[in-house]
Amino acid sequence: MADRSTRSLPPSTPTPAEDLLDALGPIKGFHDTSHLGAFGMPSGAMTEDMLAGEAVASQATRFGPLEKVHAFWFAGMSCDGCSVAATGATNPSVESMMLGAHPGIPRVILHHPVINIESGPHYLRPAEEAIEGTLGAPYVVILEGSIADEVVAHAAGGYWSATGEEPWGADGELRPVSSTEWIARLAPNAAAMIAIGTCATWGGVPSAEGNPTGAMSLMDFLGKDYRSVLGVPVVNVPGCPPVGDNFTETVAAVLYFLQGFGPLPEFDELGRPAWLFGETVHRRCVRGAYYEEGTFAQEFGDPECLVEIGCWGPVVNCNITSRGAVKGIGGCMNAGGACIGCTMPGFPDKFTPFYKRPPGSLASTTVSRMVGSIIRPLRKFSNNNLNREARWDRQGAAPSAFSREKYEPSPLADVGHRFYDKMRRASDTARGDAAVWGKRPDEAPSGGRPRTHT
Amino acid sequence: MCFKTLPVEFDGDGNATLRGGIPNPYDVSVARPDVDLNETERRDRIERLVARNGHIKDLNMDPVTRIAGALAVHVTADLDKGQYLDSHAQATLFRGYEVILMGRDPRDAIFVSSRACGVCGGVHAHAAAYAIEQAMGITPPPLGTVVRNMTEAAEMGYDNPLHLYLLAGPDYSESVIRSSNPELWPKAESWACPSAHIHGFKTMADLMTALNPLTGALYREGLEFTRLSREMVVILTGKYPHPQNVVPGGVSTTLTLQTLNEYHSKLGKIFDYAQRMMAVWDDIPAFFYEADDRYQFVGYRPTNHVDPGYWDDPYAYDATYENCNAWGEKRWSTPGVVIDGQLVTTRLTDINIGWEEFVEHSYYEESSSTRYEKDSLGNPLSPYHPWNKRTLPKPGARDWKDKYTWACAPRWDRTVVEAGCYSRLLVTALAQKMPSSDFMSSTGSSMRFLVPKGESGEREVEWQVPERWNAFERNRGRAYHYLFSQLVGLESLFEAYRLFQQGERRVAALNPEELEKAIPQDERVAVGWWGAGRGWLTHHLVMDKGKITNYQICTPSTINASPRDPWGQPGPYEEAVMNTPIIEDLANPSSFTSIDMLRGIRSFDPCMPCTTHAHTGDGEVVREVNTCSCGGD
Repeated sequence: MADRSTRSLPPSTPTPAEDLLDALGPIKGFHDTSHLGAFGMPSGAMTEDMLAGEAVASQATRFGPLEKVHAFWFAGMSCDGCSVAATGATNPSVESMMLGAHPGIPRVILHHPVINIESGPHYLRPAEEAIEGTLGAPYVVILEGSIADEVVAHAAGGYWSATGEEPWGADGELRPVSSTEWIARLAPNAAAMIAIGTCATWGGVPSAEGNPTGAMSLMDFLGKDYRSVLGVPVVNVPGCPPVGDNFTETVAAVLYFLQGFGPLPEFDELGRPAWLFGETVHRRCVRGAYYEEGTFAQEFGDPECLVEIGCWGPVVNCNITSRGAVKGIGGCMNAGGACIGCTMPGFPDKFTPFYKRPPGSLASTTVSRMVGSIIRPLRKFSNNNLNREARWDRQGAAPSAFSREKYEPSPLADVGHRFYDKMRRASDTARGDAAVWGKRPDEAPSGGRPRTHT
Repeated sequence: MCFKTLPVEFDGDGNATLRGGIPNPYDVSVARPDVDLNETERRDRIERLVARNGHIKDLNMDPVTRIAGALAVHVTADLDKGQYLDSHAQATLFRGYEVILMGRDPRDAIFVSSRACGVCGGVHAHAAAYAIEQAMGITPPPLGTVVRNMTEAAEMGYDNPLHLYLLAGPDYSESVIRSSNPELWPKAESWACPSAHIHGFKTMADLMTALNPLTGALYREGLEFTRLSREMVVILTGKYPHPQNVVPGGVSTTLTLQTLNEYHSKLGKIFDYAQRMMAVWDDIPAFFYEADDRYQFVGYRPTNHVDPGYWDDPYAYDATYENCNAWGEKRWSTPGVVIDGQLVTTRLTDINIGWEEFVEHSYYEESSSTRYEKDSLGNPLSPYHPWNKRTLPKPGARDWKDKYTWACAPRWDRTVVEAGCYSRLLVTALAQKMPSSDFMSSTGSSMRFLVPKGESGEREVEWQVPERWNAFERNRGRAYHYLFSQLVGLESLFEAYRLFQQGERRVAALNPEELEKAIPQDERVAVGWWGAGRGWLTHHLVMDKGKITNYQICTPSTINASPRDPWGQPGPYEEAVMNTPIIEDLANPSSFTSIDMLRGIRSFDPCMPCTTHAHTGDGEVVREVNTCSCGGD
């Protein structure tokens, strides 16, 4: 017992989120939009209201308890690549979720700076309502990009990364509000906090060695004890960029569960959707079999396994080679790109310098070269046999226009092939002795000369 | 003689020198552009006006949506006179990517800098590769360059419809017109579209309804075509937006006949769509100009553009700075600078030595240096040039008279220039230097294109240099640039087929072991000139003893979102907003939406994720970093 207590973590220290809220102090109110009128509302309506006519489903066609869910999309220190990846998704697509275009799915009221029609303070009003507790529907928060350490910037009177302004200054004056602050204030009452992309899930490139901003992941920011109001820790969909479908499918799977018809989605110990990230990308790699046969690309552009030109696939959790990047097409190694581990918590610093073979691959590639040196000739041998019609074997010649004189197997190979065929047919029940009575006994064997019926 | 403000002159061979006898020739008080306004006095006057007059409003649009990244625009609007008296563009994001790159192995630059921007995928990875190739002296094999061109053409195929239909399009949609410009709707219902036979919309009202966000046919079709082009990219790069196939000295794409054939069949679907896109964005300006002449001034600014060119000639590109003017002018899109509508140079060295970045109104501390007084050809360099500039980030309070943005102020010859994909059309049209093609030609005042036959017939189209650059012409230019880029994709694909016919398969100059050995130990200075969805993109690189000692990125939105410079000249967004008339009906001031200002801003296709500078180590070596691929910082 004594041992166990010494191993436990020290009594809870404040999380970075708590530190930030502590430094910023409580908020006194919200943006006064009364003097704004239509400023930033060019269509006179919020995106939600504009789409309601198309998106609302009747009680009868709704499977579950939820009619709608708000999704607040915030960008921290991001490149917007995750937004771009999400707009490429088709299983399901973002637009179909916004329009509630799948049976049983609640309509997703997405508040996304790239998509929404309204700008300025009006755009942020629903987020204010979520903090106020007056939104009237559950909400999830989606973060793209890493969290900057805003405590330092705030102390200097500024920010690293801001979205909108609120009257949260010392004397109630308007001040820019960092994305980090929005996240900290929205997290406690969110139905789920979802990190999309490697910056938000693990810190990513902005948190790489030498970074000046103290960038970190959403999980690190909210702390290990964070639970949403539904009791869910931070959900992580990594990738730089992520496969768009991995993200939209995860969101949809959670909604299907909440509506009562989907199974409980399983997440691994790092909050990744287990059904998407449970395998290494090598296991379903289109080049994986080159590894098995011990042949490796040496030049950029070669078709074989890419491990020796810098691929980390055998030790990286990802599904892009089987799922593809956009509409099932692409995938890094499919196209010739070596895996640099962009879905992993260790990215990028544990994978650099790039274009260099992982040191650990030396042992396994040596073994696979040895095994492959035996396997490859045997496979070639069988492959040669299978590249011949049974008719050609009987006739003893292969007609071919492409290779005028297709070479015939050597007598030794011929014996080998016959032996192989015997092994193959050893348990073939067609060789049993039941008499076949349902066809003519004089049927010509394929490759033989048909008999003339008279 | 392309410089008017900088005291730089040329000898008969085109070599540049500083004019003699000028102490501190680059001092901001010595080489001054003609500016009549004193920024502080002007701002004081506006503040007095705001305090006295209820109809003058000080408003901050934060955030501006339907752009990429974080941008806010502060305006002072006189609702009686229908004018914007003042405007400040604020980039509200800093990340410090270049700082992360400094001190690293140069092999990290491609995949790390790629993460500067995920909006137009791949452009930073390519720019980094060009910088590394110049620094290390690696020339890619022709097929490597061809694959890059194919990738980056397809990349534009995603980028242009995304902007026109998802970001800008809604501002011209039925839902916005009926609310913000109701006076236009009856006219739209009866206005027969001149290009109806191409795009299929009989009236402007039909077309506008198709632009409605998420539900409109054009919006949805645009989104679908961004996906088709992304498919073309990922068969070459593996994923999108960050490519996994770019290597120093070429690409690592395993190029098979199937790759080329798939690219071909997907590209074949695009040309019909390009015809419809150009028709839509020809009809929209025609309608608005006819409805109210003041629309000519929405987002207007003088014709000052800069572009470093795009898509290399695979046989001319040798990666060297020494030959850059020769291979630069052979690019499909000609490099150049246009000032007041006049093409003043097409030489990459002129573009480079005229480039400076200022931080007077940005959240950085000033610290220029004279580390490099000349480039490797002996041309003079400013202390504010990216190879010399040091920038120290310093978040602080916002002050319109002092610092208010994370973007810095890049200028060419101390003149405010604009970047855009349409700048490629402009420079290429004026220069008449583009490679010969069956599909594209430059006339000196226009670009002529032959659109290949798809399901609809082939068609000849012409893009004319507009008289006045405004929001509508930027969008129209973007639609024609879509065609331009796809024709470059087609030409590049044909080149790939030709190389295949000759048995050529090599896509990279070096293998990983040779690459490692090629990393030089001496000091190297280099620049990668490339393009993004919004135009200009450069990576300036310094390396020494095998590692990166300075890395700076300049992106098009950094240029366009720039704040005031040391002389008080507003950046392109700011200038465009101040030139924009308020055309909406202001009988009821609370109905003021600022739609025309938003149209003006969005026509630049702001892309803010990638700008930023950073930081420094301790001691004497201080560097600048600015990160952006496309955008305002």
